[in-house]
Amino acid sequence: MDRTPNRSAANFAYAAVGLLAFFAAWQWVGKSGVAGPALPALSDVATTLFDSATLSSLTRSARYTLASAAKGLFFGGTLAVLLAVVMHLLPPLRPGLDRLAVLVNATPPIAVGPILIVVFSRDQTPAALAGIQVFFLFYIAASSGLTAASPALRRVMTGFGANAWKRLVHLELPAALPHLANGLKGAVSASFLGAILGEWFGAPKGLGLVILNAMQNFQIRLMWAAVVVAAVMSLTAFLAAAGLERFVTRRFAR
Amino acid sequence: MSSSGASIEIHDLRKSFVPRRGVTVEAIRHIDLTVPAGEFLAIVGPSGCGKSTLLHLVAGLEKPSSGTVRIGGAAPEELVRRHRLGVAFQDPALLPWLSVRANLGLPFKLAGLPVNQKRVLGLIDLVGLAGFELARPNQLSGGMLQRAAIARSLCLEPDVLLLDEPFGALDAVTRRRLNIELERIWRDRAITTLLVTHSVEEALFLSDRTIVMERPGAIAQVVQTPFPRPRTPELLRREDFHQLTDQITLWLEP
Repeated sequence: MDRTPNRSAANFAYAAVGLLAFFAAWQWVGKSGVAGPALPALSDVATTLFDSATLSSLTRSARYTLASAAKGLFFGGTLAVLLAVVMHLLPPLRPGLDRLAVLVNATPPIAVGPILIVVFSRDQTPAALAGIQVFFLFYIAASSGLTAASPALRRVMTGFGANAWKRLVHLELPAALPHLANGLKGAVSASFLGAILGEWFGAPKGLGLVILNAMQNFQIRLMWAAVVVAAVMSLTAFLAAAGLERFVTRRFAR
Repeated sequence: MSSSGASIEIHDLRKSFVPRRGVTVEAIRHIDLTVPAGEFLAIVGPSGCGKSTLLHLVAGLEKPSSGTVRIGGAAPEELVRRHRLGVAFQDPALLPWLSVRANLGLPFKLAGLPVNQKRVLGLIDLVGLAGFELARPNQLSGGMLQRAAIARSLCLEPDVLLLDEPFGALDAVTRRRLNIELERIWRDRAITTLLVTHSVEEALFLSDRTIVMERPGAIAQVVQTPFPRPRTPELLRREDFHQLTDQITLWLEP
């Protein structure tokens, strides 16, 4: 008896039930005031969120944050992959670059913020911070991915007289794609985090700014509405990255 | 049937490995061997006798500790650099993300040559994979993968074909069938071929000459294969074939 279709239906049902339970709990906590005024009921947040003026304003802010996150993802990711390739082709550079990457990653983003403002200007800081958050994840994914090809495949390449560049292009980069796709999942979330955090340093627009202002003006429902939008955006991007990972793994992994 | 390819000359060959500090393992003690152009030479011997090491030395994957290996007068590295070697190992090692046809195009790309589609399709036909040009490795059986790997080894019309237990991972029935196929395929071009194998039957069925190696890396016996070509499946049922197989198998025992 094939139980797979039943299992995925069951999983979907569990997920739906869990989500509904979460929403119900939120609604109850908010309405009863058990957690204080900082946690409004779900219905109140929804009313605020779907008010047309608020919605269009939040959408505009979301687009700005999305653009910063995307820019950070692209530049941070590209730089990380390029650096990993260079390090792969020139092994003597590896220890130094590895330590640099660890150092960049270990520095708390809040501490780096002021430096970024000086270097990049306030409105580019979100993208820059997103890029830094993404950099280490992609660097690790690319470094380990480039060595992922099996010894048997390497030996065949060597036997056919492939030089380092050809080996990179024909074997190591394709073999690294599943690792990169896996890294992309984490990187996508990190880019949103970096973008929103970066907006707290004085960006002109964006969801991070809305959250910060709403918090300072005690507009709790607006704050939550903005958080919900940010979470939905981040989650959607994550799911898209997960789908891409599944596709890439099917196509490129053994 | 034309005789082609390069001759292989091995003089005074020795090879030692140092797996740990202070520990030396002698893989090849002494080998003097000449393989005339167009000869199919099989190499049999007990486990650990150095037959794979010998093949790796001829393929330029290892360097001799002393002595020389010359293929057509040139060092193996030279032939590798000029993409004149065909290799197939026990792991067929086809690139998982490429179709059979694209995998066979790889040697051309590694050599910086335009892909000769006619030759690729001809080889796919020759090894009995017609109709599977666009199949991916994960859709093929072990025997089919090995056929593809052998076809790949012939793509650049190499001077020498080096096979290291190509059928070792296959079941006995498939192995026997592929032996018959390989004999047919080889007769098409009759290039100089070295086959390392555990199977004495395979060695005698395919080769013009078989050398029996002993630990630690020396030639114990040389057998000129007395059976005429073409070698047909009937040969496998003949009494004299089995007697010779048994005799050589006895030599393999310590």
